[in-house]
Amino acid sequence: MPEAPRVGELAPELRLPDLQGRASSIRDLRGRPVLVTFLRHAG
Amino acid sequence: MKVRDRWHRWEAIGAAAVFVVFDDPDLIRRTMLADLDVEALPFDVLVDRSRETYARWGLTRARWSTIWLDPNVYRTYARLLRSGVPLRSGGTDVLQLGGDFVLGPDGRVVCSRPQRRDDRPPVGELLRAARGSVEGSG
Repeated sequence: MPEAPRVGELAPELRLPDLQGRASSIRDLRGRPVLVTFLRHAG
Repeated sequence: MKVRDRWHRWEAIGAAAVFVVFDDPDLIRRTMLADLDVEALPFDVLVDRSRETYARWGLTRARWSTIWLDPNVYRTYARLLRSGVPLRSGGTDVLQLGGDFVLGPDGRVVCSRPQRRDDRPPVGELLRAARGSVEGSG
């Protein structure tokens, strides 16, 4: 199991479909700060 | 989503936000995003049904006792009930942990807060990290 990325490291790639099924990648957001939040559940 | 309520502060520093979920998109639309126009959200909501990306970012499942013996969970429920927020289904796996990460403009991590139990960092801490990454890159 990989460890969570640490401060100073390059973030792992994150490429996933959105709610409409369109592929999206955090690489497309380079050049600005990005908050990446993994949610626990839909509740 | 507290971030949603303070979105103008993220916009002010030019930040983007990505929320990753693992539950079925239809459930997400009916619960978390029930009162929102999904097509007009100012942030991305991405779906990781297999949870492979959760695992790649080091986000594991908690033990049953870690969640259900944590008094913070019950304080959160009590606060939601007092504020009139209806409790909803917990989705398909209440033991899956999440996490908050802030990336600087160069893609490096400037704040890393994987959950170890049902804990989340204050939004202000995340905002400060994002703001610092902009000031540091200028």
